[in-house]
Amino acid sequence: MTYFISGGAKNGKSTLAQDLTVALSKGGKHYYVATMISTGAEDDDRIRRHIADRDGMGFETVECFRNIMECLKSADKNGVFLVDSVTALIQNSLFPIEKNYEMDLEAASRCADELVAFAHTVRHAVFVSDCIYSDAERYSESTEMYCKCLASIDRRLAKVCDTVIEVSAGQFIIHKGDLCI
Amino acid sequence: MILIIGGAYQGKLDFAKEVFGITDVDVHICDTGEIDFSKRCIYKIEEFTYNHPDPIGYFQAHREAWQDSILILQDIFCGVVPMGAENRAWRQRTGRLSQYLSREATQVSRIFCGLEQRLK
Repeated sequence: MTYFISGGAKNGKSTLAQDLTVALSKGGKHYYVATMISTGAEDDDRIRRHIADRDGMGFETVECFRNIMECLKSADKNGVFLVDSVTALIQNSLFPIEKNYEMDLEAASRCADELVAFAHTVRHAVFVSDCIYSDAERYSESTEMYCKCLASIDRRLAKVCDTVIEVSAGQFIIHKGDLCI
Repeated sequence: MILIIGGAYQGKLDFAKEVFGITDVDVHICDTGEIDFSKRCIYKIEEFTYNHPDPIGYFQAHREAWQDSILILQDIFCGVVPMGAENRAWRQRTGRLSQYLSREATQVSRIFCGLEQRLK
């Protein structure tokens, strides 16, 4: 089973994703794909909070900042993968920190292709993304490109995943498939 | 009239093309000028409202012309209140227009990641 979860910030996406992953694993292998590159104390704090949230849930952590297929070098594809988040993977690829955040469209495109390939390859996956498309700001060209790249992979994942859920205030809007837990 | 709403890049126009069989020649892409209501699909209405002071008045004045149209409007309503007064006013008049059009519509579809959610 593959799930795609999106919605606004701080609405309960990660909690749902963790619960789904544990339920799908039925006591077997389940992986947390850590996607965030820390850029300072604020990120370190957030990462610590996320680790504490997962404490006792039996996750194995796999670090992957860009190309998700690389996870499978160390992880078993028959396990359950929680990818939180698609947003971070696209951001890391499109604006590489080691190239001083200079936009790299090719890397973002490869990152997106690998996400789709990953969804087809692994037995179970839960992808978390962010719905950032409904405000009245007129952004810079690079920010617009970021939104466009993320929306494009969101749509591709929503198409291939069995279930698509939008989370709003901790409630679930099921756009496709079933929750199954 | 059918109203299609949703955030940026969600696939609103692709949905209209797929479901209603429209092609690029059927689409008027709005800018700050007049809307060509002879086209079956009116796209990016939020671009029209960007500079128009009274979009509801404009749509009311042309009400007969869009009764059988497919209208596509971007949801620009969920972010932080914009810092600039111009963008705040744009968001307000666009939001009011979306409510007016939604009342007038026989069908309202919201597109989320390329998937339709039927609101009306």
